[in-house]
Amino acid sequence: MNKLLSALAVATASVVALSGCASGGGATTAPSAPGSPAAQNITLWLAGGDTPDALRDYLKKTYNEKTGGTLTIEQQAWPDLVTKLTTALPDENNTPDVTEIGNTQAPTFTNVGAFADVSDMYAELGGDKLLQSFVDVGKVDGKNYALPYYFGSRYMFYRKDIWKAAGVEVPTTLDAFNTAVKTITEKNPKNIKDFSGFFIGGQDWRNGISWIFANGGDLAKFENGQWTSTFSDPNSIKGLTQLQEIQKSASHAPKTMTDASVYLYLNNSDVIKDGDKVTGKTSLSAATVMAPGWAHWSIGDLVKKDGKEVRNWNDDTFGVFVLPGNDGKPAPVFAGGSNIAISAKSKNQAGARELLRIIFSSDYQQMLAKNGLGPANSDYAQAMATDQFGKALVESASNSKLTPAAPGWATIEASGKLEEFFQKIAEGGDVASLAKQYDDILTPMLNAK
Amino acid sequence: MTHSTGSGTAAISPTTEKPARPMARTPRRRRTPVAPYLMLVPSIVILLFALGYPLYWQFLTSMQKFGLSQQFGKPPEFVGLENYIKLFSDPQTWAVVGRSIAFCLVNAAITVVLGVLIALLMNAVGKGIRLLLQVSMLLAWAMPVIAAMTVWIWLFDWHRGVVNWLLTAAGLDFTNHNWLEQPLSFYFVATVIVVWMSVPFVAFSVFAGLTQISDEVMEAAALDGASPTQRFFSIILPMIRPVLMIVLLLQVIWDLRVFAQIRTLQDAGAPLAETDVLGTYIYRLGVGASDFAMASALSIFVLLLTVALSWFYVMHLMKEDTP
Amino acid sequence: MSTSTAVVGKRRRIRPGRVVLSGVGVLVALAWIFPVYWMLNSSLLPNVVLTSTSPRFLPFGGSLDNFTAVVAGGTFLPALGMSVAITVTTVVFCLLFAFLAALAISRFRFRGRKTFVLAVLFIQMLPAEGLFIAQYKMMSTLGLLNSVMGVSLIYIAGVVPFTVWMLRGFVAGVPADLEEAAMVDGCSRSQAFFRITFPLLAPGLVASGVYAFLQAWNEFTVALVILQKEEYRTLPLWLRGFVQASASHETDWGQVMAASTLVAVPVIIFFLFVQGRLTSGLVAGAVKG
Repeated sequence: MNKLLSALAVATASVVALSGCASGGGATTAPSAPGSPAAQNITLWLAGGDTPDALRDYLKKTYNEKTGGTLTIEQQAWPDLVTKLTTALPDENNTPDVTEIGNTQAPTFTNVGAFADVSDMYAELGGDKLLQSFVDVGKVDGKNYALPYYFGSRYMFYRKDIWKAAGVEVPTTLDAFNTAVKTITEKNPKNIKDFSGFFIGGQDWRNGISWIFANGGDLAKFENGQWTSTFSDPNSIKGLTQLQEIQKSASHAPKTMTDASVYLYLNNSDVIKDGDKVTGKTSLSAATVMAPGWAHWSIGDLVKKDGKEVRNWNDDTFGVFVLPGNDGKPAPVFAGGSNIAISAKSKNQAGARELLRIIFSSDYQQMLAKNGLGPANSDYAQAMATDQFGKALVESASNSKLTPAAPGWATIEASGKLEEFFQKIAEGGDVASLAKQYDDILTPMLNAK
Repeated sequence: MTHSTGSGTAAISPTTEKPARPMARTPRRRRTPVAPYLMLVPSIVILLFALGYPLYWQFLTSMQKFGLSQQFGKPPEFVGLENYIKLFSDPQTWAVVGRSIAFCLVNAAITVVLGVLIALLMNAVGKGIRLLLQVSMLLAWAMPVIAAMTVWIWLFDWHRGVVNWLLTAAGLDFTNHNWLEQPLSFYFVATVIVVWMSVPFVAFSVFAGLTQISDEVMEAAALDGASPTQRFFSIILPMIRPVLMIVLLLQVIWDLRVFAQIRTLQDAGAPLAETDVLGTYIYRLGVGASDFAMASALSIFVLLLTVALSWFYVMHLMKEDTP
Repeated sequence: MSTSTAVVGKRRRIRPGRVVLSGVGVLVALAWIFPVYWMLNSSLLPNVVLTSTSPRFLPFGGSLDNFTAVVAGGTFLPALGMSVAITVTTVVFCLLFAFLAALAISRFRFRGRKTFVLAVLFIQMLPAEGLFIAQYKMMSTLGLLNSVMGVSLIYIAGVVPFTVWMLRGFVAGVPADLEEAAMVDGCSRSQAFFRITFPLLAPGLVASGVYAFLQAWNEFTVALVILQKEEYRTLPLWLRGFVQASASHETDWGQVMAASTLVAVPVIIFFLFVQGRLTSGLVAGAVKG
């Protein structure tokens, strides 16, 4: 059965190629009748549940209207994505035609030739308007393979009541932030055990690298065709030292913790009693956390709503701000998000390219923005700055940075070496020698294909 | 060693005891010699089919340079034993091997000892309590691994975990104690979970073996004035030895290959390099680092290591097995 | 709960220390059951309660909302169907193949017998974590990706070795003389087998079946690679989907626990169903010689 299907697919593909439709007719391709040779049934892999259903439906409907073919969307879980891409992408009979891929995973797959060259469409899809740091990770030898899909970035959620009780103001420079969270920890206005002025896990390198970036350092540099890890760069060392100081004197998060669920520690539990004295157990153990924007759904007062206990955001208690840099601009934080690319082995290149046109269309970009996902095309980013969360996202993203576009980056992430390095920093190890040690480990990994 | 109970003592202890009526001497043996081969065909075919190619691939890959590029079509380069040399000269490999063997032996030992004790307990208590014990073991056994791991990680959570809460309530200050931070305490948690999961199988098997011991023997021993300890070592233990042998072997094999439990715990936040065992290390090399050649080399090594570790034991079993 | 229980029951007498032992028994039972209880308890509570620091030991104020939400998601039933199909296929074929092999190695002496037994034992020792690329390639070539058959093939191969080991003990435990006696009485050989030997082997088949069932029901690394499409997910993959927090949503722990409970329930039903036979099954053949 599968054989038959793939035989059919080959047949269809060759007909398409012969009829000349494969070259793509531009964004204005007239809708072809269903069942006509041009109709390609394609598959799109989306990672995680980030793309809302309404957007998925839009893609399916629009693809069908434009080409007459069917678009099947399959959702893959983030932690399993690399395994599945590793097995399915090289397999022409089972590859998804288009796939979403984590922005930090993109360089690795781009470098081994997993994706189709879309340089000829680059200008048409948005060109220089597209988020450049994401474009760069999907580029090899000046050719575009993976393009940005959406971005998110992290900003600070904080407890107004505690900051006020500790007598500190929302900071405008990075140095002020570093001092403020230390002060809060020392004063511990609510007298809670192991209280953190700023709660950041020891292994949390995704947030931790902001300090490297903000001090002018970087994770790696590309020179003479070689990638080199640059934790030992003086600016990186400076950032890491500041981070270590925060870990030591402002954060009581476990040294083995990553960036998961930090928002929990900002909430009061239901048993806390009035006044400054804690009479019951509390889940509150942080004055500040750094989290992706959607965390605001999980932060708030505990209230009963329709007989159910839920969290309700309260502007009197909770607030957001963007981590400031020392240069008056927001600090360069790590930009999360994903890229999108066409599988090189896809037999439905024409259909896949048509899908990209739909994704990069003005309509779809606006839909992304309205749903809180940073759109690839900067023209539409302002559409999301409708509330304080949207504004913080746009502002923090304005100066955000990505991990190096090195071929071995996905490998490094999966190896757990970064978690290891940041944990050792957090545990108070000697920054300079650790930086040297991990530079030596990471440099060969960066270049490995 | 007494043979008073006759044939096959327990399910999973096939062979070990000499059957009362040795079936090898049946007339059927002299019939067409094709029959046994025909009966083995389905098993052999499916094993060759499902494991033959992967094993061949793994062997081949372990002697190649094989990363993501090769997976995407670049012809792999033959490098002979280079991967193995690289593997064995890396101290991390030996640390992982040592850790895995220690973890495996400790866990297998604890599991079997606890399993035997619980089986003895089942045998000694009244019907109601026995049923309660059996139901609780059955439920623990039936718990899907992913579900069990989620619950356990929760119980040991540093901030909200019930374990810390209970210890604190008992007067020890365990508030915000992070169990996964230190490798030793990480392995303690892992051991609790692995033992919890594996004890029911051992307990049921041993209990089954215990019920085979005839009452007369036990009563006679009791009349002769043998203490419970004496009775255990001189009567019960020899009788359940075959079950124990197999159960222990299986536990050693399974615990040496432990993967899902360690990996889920690591995902919950642990020092990775210091908590890796063979299973997670293979995974990290393969799926994680896309170095499929090294992952294959390590897999082949693990296969050989397990065979070596159990060689004496298996040969012993085989000797008793000859029909 | 089984014949064996009755046998044990007969010789019970009042012993000092019985009370202490019963106490220990209750404690052990509670220790083992607690995580299971905790899963059930949490599945009835809303997420906000679960994320606070004070544990709630009883599901007061709880509801079946989590279960309703999980089932209403619409993905549970297809995954259940997939899991049942794969598990049944695995159990049936595994028992059939392993039974034949067990019969061969315990009733016949032939060349290569020892090699087979050794191979079967050692095959279990191969770590599975490094095999996924090869397994994928093989199934892709055969067109068996995303199929019950593809996954079942690998599962059967995975459990056959242990099942052969387990069953040969049972087969050895049934004296061949019994069958011969029946044949003397005029039964045909197959009649003798099905009337005499087979019923005696039933508990053994149940015990091995339970093992195969649990393996097939719980496995997820092979399933992850072979069943790439969402609509072919098995329950463990489905459950993983719940556990893994997406990048834009908080994990709903109440629902995760409800989902876990739903995955465990069929196993528990199956266990209760075979329970009596399982215990006697573990009592090899139950033939007292």
